[in-house]
Amino acid sequence: MTEPVAHDPIRLEVFANALRSIADETFVALQKSAYSTNIKERHDHSTALFDARGRLVMQAQQSLPLHVGAISGTVKKLVAKYGADIHEGDVFVANDPYAASGTHLPDICITAPVFHGGRLVGFSGCTAHHADIGGASVGGASGGLTEIFQEGFRIPMVRLFSKGQMNQEMFDIFLLNVRGAEERKGDYYAQFAAVSLGAKRLAEICDRYGADYVEAAFEELLTRTHRRLTRALDQIPPGEYAFEDVMDDDGVAARDLKVAVTLRKTADRLTIDFAGTAPQTPGNINSPFADTVSTVLYVLKCVLDPTISSNDGLLSAVEVIAPAGSLVNPAYPAAVTNRSATDQRVVDVLLGALARALPDRVVAAANGSNTGVYIYGTDPRTGGRFYFFETMGGGFGGRAARDGKDAVQVHVTNTANTPVEAIEREFPLLVEEYAIVEDSGGAGRFRGGCGLRRVIRPLGENFTFGGTGERFATHRPWGLFGGEAGETGFFALRDESGEVKRLPTQVPGVTIPEEGAVIMQTAGAGGYGDPATRTPEAVADDREDGKFSAAYIARHYGGDAR
Amino acid sequence: MSWIIGVDVGGTFTDFFAFDEATGGARHWKRPSTPSNPAEAIIAGLQEMSSAHGIPLPDVTRLCHGSTVATNTLIQRRGARVTMVTTRGFRDVLEIGRQTRPAIHDLQRDQPEPLVPRRHRLELTERVMADGSVRTPVDAAELSELAEAVRRTGAEAVAVCFLFSYLRPDHERQVADALRAALPGVTVSISAEVQPEFREFERFTTTVVNAYLQPRLDAYIATLMRELGQAVPAALVGINQSSGGLMSLDTARAFPVRMALSGPAAGIVGAVQIAREAERPNVITIDIGGTSADVAMIRNGRTDLTHGRDVDGFPIRLPMIDITTVGAGGGSIAWFDGDGLFKVGPQSAGAVPGPACYCRGGTLPTVSDANLVLGRLADTLLNGEMTLDRSRAEAAIRSVAEPMGKTVEQTALGILEVMTVNMVRAIRMLSIERGHDPRDFVLMPFGGAGGLHARDVAVALGMSEILVPVAPGIVCAQGLTDAELQDNFLISALIPCTEDGMSVLRARLAEIDGMAARWFAAEKTDPGNRRIDHVVDMRFKGQNFELSIDAGNGEGLAALPVLLERFFEAHERAYGFANRAAPVEIVTCRATARAALGVRRPPRAADLRPGRPEAETHREVIFAGPDRCHTPIFRREALRPGDGIAGPAIIDQMDSTTVIFPGDTARVDAFGNLLIALGAAP
Repeated sequence: MTEPVAHDPIRLEVFANALRSIADETFVALQKSAYSTNIKERHDHSTALFDARGRLVMQAQQSLPLHVGAISGTVKKLVAKYGADIHEGDVFVANDPYAASGTHLPDICITAPVFHGGRLVGFSGCTAHHADIGGASVGGASGGLTEIFQEGFRIPMVRLFSKGQMNQEMFDIFLLNVRGAEERKGDYYAQFAAVSLGAKRLAEICDRYGADYVEAAFEELLTRTHRRLTRALDQIPPGEYAFEDVMDDDGVAARDLKVAVTLRKTADRLTIDFAGTAPQTPGNINSPFADTVSTVLYVLKCVLDPTISSNDGLLSAVEVIAPAGSLVNPAYPAAVTNRSATDQRVVDVLLGALARALPDRVVAAANGSNTGVYIYGTDPRTGGRFYFFETMGGGFGGRAARDGKDAVQVHVTNTANTPVEAIEREFPLLVEEYAIVEDSGGAGRFRGGCGLRRVIRPLGENFTFGGTGERFATHRPWGLFGGEAGETGFFALRDESGEVKRLPTQVPGVTIPEEGAVIMQTAGAGGYGDPATRTPEAVADDREDGKFSAAYIARHYGGDAR
Repeated sequence: MSWIIGVDVGGTFTDFFAFDEATGGARHWKRPSTPSNPAEAIIAGLQEMSSAHGIPLPDVTRLCHGSTVATNTLIQRRGARVTMVTTRGFRDVLEIGRQTRPAIHDLQRDQPEPLVPRRHRLELTERVMADGSVRTPVDAAELSELAEAVRRTGAEAVAVCFLFSYLRPDHERQVADALRAALPGVTVSISAEVQPEFREFERFTTTVVNAYLQPRLDAYIATLMRELGQAVPAALVGINQSSGGLMSLDTARAFPVRMALSGPAAGIVGAVQIAREAERPNVITIDIGGTSADVAMIRNGRTDLTHGRDVDGFPIRLPMIDITTVGAGGGSIAWFDGDGLFKVGPQSAGAVPGPACYCRGGTLPTVSDANLVLGRLADTLLNGEMTLDRSRAEAAIRSVAEPMGKTVEQTALGILEVMTVNMVRAIRMLSIERGHDPRDFVLMPFGGAGGLHARDVAVALGMSEILVPVAPGIVCAQGLTDAELQDNFLISALIPCTEDGMSVLRARLAEIDGMAARWFAAEKTDPGNRRIDHVVDMRFKGQNFELSIDAGNGEGLAALPVLLERFFEAHERAYGFANRAAPVEIVTCRATARAALGVRRPPRAADLRPGRPEAETHREVIFAGPDRCHTPIFRREALRPGDGIAGPAIIDQMDSTTVIFPGDTARVDAFGNLLIALGAAP
């Protein structure tokens, strides 16, 4: 038997393990040497290895789902743009969603080619979320921005190092356009170091295995992942599956934005078509095509094969069609920073569409948001400015065999909260309540998760509150197979007299009076299955645990469920 | 005569190490554990060892105990019915946690359900502020009704967890006192005593786990004390903590959560002592058992403490020896994943059904089956008490060999190769994260399977020496005889790193020393053997993560510039940079109080006559393959200090096997350790 050497499953596993080790090592190296808290603590970065054609071969284990599409798109762009004009010691930089297939501007993508014996064998790359990228507001995330120019400094695919020599003038332009240039320089250097470490390690692998084997093994790994996903797609019966949902608003002008998808499955192909989705909006919730693709892959991994590798073999197994100039494939110069709000909804509609095909794998609609809240002002204790920011979880959808989780980050985001004892120690704020929202999870055989509430009041001064929410208006998180919708969330202001007033879904900045408070409450999630089939024990637990009122239970599970 | 005995209760075996202070002699014993009543195996083993080795039990002066009882009670959810009392508005903190999912692509998996259901999480009106001031005192009317409310929940144990109690424990104490008075027989844990450290979710969870374990562990310790009182009446009994130090039985009953990872921690204490004797200050230990491998680093003869770790999904905030676990062990199963790649672990056949060769019902190919097929593992284990079946091992491996068109032997080598790269990847990540190069370390394998795999791991990491302890299967029990009595104290306080701040720090450390002094007195420790080490957790202002920095200078508190420089260096090592102009602050002051128990280790004779031991027998062993190599087999017990062995060779002992590859050489040091120098890798 003379199979190609790359097909030996033992040798290929040992080789793949070496690649995983490189991706993970560069991931940690970047995390350790970067300056931005986003990278160090929230691990908002990814590292990866690519083949000579720019195809993603191996991603670090902890890489984020939203980085898959962008990181592979930019490296292909690099190969297309520079072709044979790529040399040892070159380093390329990009961040722009339009010019370089990036995600949003704070995510800087850096790539270095890897040569062995004068031959290009692949690339070492990374993406990292810098704390600032210039533009109208710190971090580029504030509401009210309507063009990518306002969101920060745009970098097309450019060569920053040529044969080991940095183009200092170009780098000076990068740094001049961001806040905290010294720290950002640290982030850049951390990324340069990470990609050069990855390049060095990949070259060592070539020494050990030979470049021919490495190339053949890259191809084999992609083929195997492609085959694995293709096989997994067989779980979806041929047919057409459509679903749509509506987003609240974009924080600027547009309301009731439709996100629609149709999945077309034939014997050997899956096409995912977002025709019918709303046009791009002035507000910054547009999802660049690369992010939309990443989100599709996230959902397919979740429902078909959670442990499948994230590499180019996935991308080639499905076709994603998104109308140009739409919310999920915006055209220049749409603003995109807050794209994850839309991506969360893309997840929901894909799950909704797949419900008929894979009823046991999907979950009902989640809180549908990546709710961001910020409070800033002057700290009366020090006289200095403070800025508190965090993202809040909410309900997770009901599932085929268990309730949705309460108060948790869902789908494409998974960032931790800030402890109450950290908030109050760092900022002149008092947290009155941090709780699961009662009666907010949709009823069902397996109910939806409940939302999350935080109530914060200022200490000693008036402060400004801003926030970006979703599923705050009328578009409740829907249930599946008879499961009911969960409750919507809201931002509200409680004034000195105790009167509570609702705020808009996206709050650009509003004053919280000293004796008042801001109430931040996220949506619950939809239930799964007919509430009438929920076990009496589960209903009793809902009531005894105080997550649902007697009135709610009577209304949704019948009067006798006392 | 004075014997010190270490007893380590594991899931499968209970190990004993007895140390004779007069002669320095050591004895070991091993017997199956008795999970339903672990004390049974302890007492039986003591008696067996006593008669087998002639150790008079009345001469045992100290018995140190490490156990998985606490961990198993938690993992199997066999703890108590707990009620939690917390600050009004915050009963969901325990359930919300850090609002994250454990596996981003797994829609079915959640963080573990809280150990206290929501209906048993009671709220009380009270509030302490971030500066320690009281905004709202404990509501007297509510307090008067609390005991009755707790009684109605049917609580066996109560956890009292208030915000900012680490700054002002009064409210928690007030409530605990009232509950103890009203509810005799119900144990009460308060967060300010279990771990007075900021970040409420982690503190509350640690406290709840403590409450959850307390009634069961209390009963276990009481039984153990009663039975040990008869078996070894003269022995002082200590229990090992996750930090590697011993605690008294009274402390263990109050804080059973400290036992959560006591077994692996003892192994590292043993390893530190072995490394010190062998004069190898920098060691990476790898303890390979049936289902997993524990990895730790010893640097300059010391291990690092970490301040927390997840146990079965629950974050436990306590000082613990820094250990990383990898899903690779003798029972790890070989399989093909969806890509058709050949994988080993993390699924394990465990002890039951076990590897195919154990004949206990397992049919899947495991690492142990591979070792047997290659001749590295003998056909009998545990001095002949257990026989391995080579034909079953071959059949199991053939099931994965045939689809690949490979021989059984090629596949067995592949199983070991894949297992090795898994361990190597974990060790490499650990050393990179800690800022160290594995090539500067000696590898110390222990556990039943350590010596079988150490050489492959060492070569892959570029290490040049392996140190195999004299009894690799019972390093944990051995470590227990070396452990010191230890307690850890801390004060969470935000202190700027300025000259003014230093006087605040000095005052805080004096407070901590007061706590330590009270503890030394309460434990009746010998004043000559007391030691306190101070550590401060420092960070750049605005950061949300801290580094633990040694605050001492040999006598007292180090000067400010010294402290800052240590922090900058640690920051550079951990994160690659340090901005020396940025303001720095301290968030937590810690002290480790240790009372050495005065183990007398007689000096070893320097009489190391080079010897050439006789092989007991020969086996046909495959090393790199493809051919079998006629390999001499030695009994570890027969080796003498000074003996040298050139590979290829196999050294068998009761519960472990060491493989010496062709080109490598081993010698036995004065303490019986095997030092293997790696030759050029083939």
